[in-house]
Amino acid sequence: MKAEAAEADRRREVREAAQGWWRAGAIDEAALAAVVSAYPDDRVRLGPAFRTLAFIFTALALNALFFFVVAVFEPGADVAGALSVAFGLLLCVLTDIQIGRLKRDEGGTEAATALVGLGYMIGGAGLLLSEAGLRGGALFPWLFALATVLFAAAAQRWGMALFAGLAGLSLFLFLAQSRGGRLLWIAAALVMIPLLTRAVESPRLPPAHRRSGQALLAVALVALYAALHLGSWDGGFVEALGSSGTQRLHDSPLRPVAIAGTALVPLCAIAFGIRSRRRLFLDLGLALGIASLVTLRFYVHVAPLWVVLTLGGAAAIAAALAARRFLASGPGGERGGFTAEPLFEDLSRQGALETVAAVATAPGARPAAADDRTLAPGGGRFGGGGASGEY
Amino acid sequence: MRWEVDAAVVRLRREGALSAGQADLFGRVARRELVSVHRELRLLLYGGILVAMTGVGLLVKQNFERIGPLAIAAALGVAAAGCLGWVHRNAPPFSWGETRSSDFAFEYLLLLGVLLLGADLAYVEAQFTPLGDAWPRHLLIMSVVSALLAVRYDSRIVFSLALSTFAAWRGVSVVLLEKAFWSGPDPAGSLRANAIGCGLAFLLLAAALVRFERKAHFEPVAVHAGWILILGALVSGLGGDNVAFGVLAVVVGAGLAAFAFRRARFSLFVLGVLAAYTGLSALFLRADPPFAVAALWFALTSLAVLAALLTVHQRMRRPA
Repeated sequence: MKAEAAEADRRREVREAAQGWWRAGAIDEAALAAVVSAYPDDRVRLGPAFRTLAFIFTALALNALFFFVVAVFEPGADVAGALSVAFGLLLCVLTDIQIGRLKRDEGGTEAATALVGLGYMIGGAGLLLSEAGLRGGALFPWLFALATVLFAAAAQRWGMALFAGLAGLSLFLFLAQSRGGRLLWIAAALVMIPLLTRAVESPRLPPAHRRSGQALLAVALVALYAALHLGSWDGGFVEALGSSGTQRLHDSPLRPVAIAGTALVPLCAIAFGIRSRRRLFLDLGLALGIASLVTLRFYVHVAPLWVVLTLGGAAAIAAALAARRFLASGPGGERGGFTAEPLFEDLSRQGALETVAAVATAPGARPAAADDRTLAPGGGRFGGGGASGEY
Repeated sequence: MRWEVDAAVVRLRREGALSAGQADLFGRVARRELVSVHRELRLLLYGGILVAMTGVGLLVKQNFERIGPLAIAAALGVAAAGCLGWVHRNAPPFSWGETRSSDFAFEYLLLLGVLLLGADLAYVEAQFTPLGDAWPRHLLIMSVVSALLAVRYDSRIVFSLALSTFAAWRGVSVVLLEKAFWSGPDPAGSLRANAIGCGLAFLLLAAALVRFERKAHFEPVAVHAGWILILGALVSGLGGDNVAFGVLAVVVGAGLAAFAFRRARFSLFVLGVLAAYTGLSALFLRADPPFAVAALWFALTSLAVLAALLTVHQRMRRPA
């Protein structure tokens, strides 16, 4: 990231925090204005709606332009590959100009040119490699290695966390191509997790790079869990991603390691999250913990599914209420540095998401047989007020 | 750690922009000495409700012969009454304005109560058929009950459920009962007409909520549901023979975009622009142009829309 873009990013971080304080009523308009004037914005930004539209129409225009050229000139695969790489390079230069000279940030267009550009570079390289005789199993390691390098460079240069996540994904896909893919996943994740955990705390990195580090850290944690997960072990998930194809490890003597890993990775993540007050570990630990409970139900039929779901749901509700009460009853409404109060979060955004999710649980209405009174999918479903009605 | 924010808090305190109390709290949050798990707890509560309701659905489906329909209906009713009874006891006094319960679980237990009530009503209708051939009306009843509960206890989540259940009732009714009345043998056409009708009804409801100052803060839910139904119905007709859907999508979408832009309602603006563009492109594609011409169309029109967006945005930023 260029120095001035990093500085703009640091100032944005402060303004964003002040917006949260103001939204929560912790500061007044005058204090907010003082923050905005002390940390001014020199970037060209768009709001969420304009940004979304700008992204969609830029991506559409760029793709259509390329397909127009291909339709007119009808090049062979090798020329199309070279054209694609050149087009991708051009778009990356355009991204650099937008973020650098034009000082654009959160504008939709620069994200679109970057994403489409990298996509064309990787796709074009794939075509060229394929024309050079590399196919299937031989092609993918090169392609994933290239994607790792390009996405990592993009994340470093433009500070977009999405590319850091994609770089991590590409890296693990690359590692999955070798024979010891699963072992490499575990080794890479075990190296990356402590390094990144420290890196995302570094004051020398601008916020955008710290967010990129968090994205990469999340990918590494999920990869570690996937490599140690019992279902992935038995089903040969990592091996299926590689060129060697599916390879079941059901009879491996190391299977107990997977059983322990499925149980311990989420627990360790939650414990570390609580101890260090890091939400990333806490949130991912909870999500992975739910995945482990589902896995347990898959392997051990402790009770019928309806019992597990009803009790599991009730337990989640009870746990949330108990945790809330426990935290609220502490001095100042906090315990161990945690509080159940929203502090400075944007509650309206959460509420909007829940409203959308509530609509998704409402009964559907689809064409069906005229006298259909059954509750099978089809002509609307029983369960007013949002009940699934899937009886 | 948010190092920049921590340093800014020190600076703003020194300059007198923040009080000592404010600086202390903001600094602790920036240094991660105080972390909120509010979002996580809400997610756990909400997810728990949805998972438990799925379990209840399976319970009814798999065990109704063993347990007996009356016992199941009674159990669901008792559970719903328990939730709604708790909600009633802990509810703030009724107001046509926005009210906020001090209890963290209030809205979620209301949601759980409504979902259980809906499941119970559906089960009773399926087992005992009190409504006979008019069985889809249980959705209408549930929609009205949900809307009343949403208004009484001031819940946007339950209000959105009420609207979507109403739309589902129209869909079921059209397909099963009123096929001949609407458009003969074409269930898709009937559904489309009903979706547009529902959408218009929601828009009128939204206008009335604001006009009469009755739960005016529910208006965005009704307005968004209304426009999504109308535009979705128009766009769903683009693949057919009738050119009117394309023309209507362009006209209605452009009109919505212009209206929403003037009112600074940008989520509606996005819907309008996308619908108008989709309609226009569908009309163009009806001429079955060669691939290269179609690609050129999308390239040029997308760039034109982009240029228009950026110009408009620049004007918005310029002081009058």
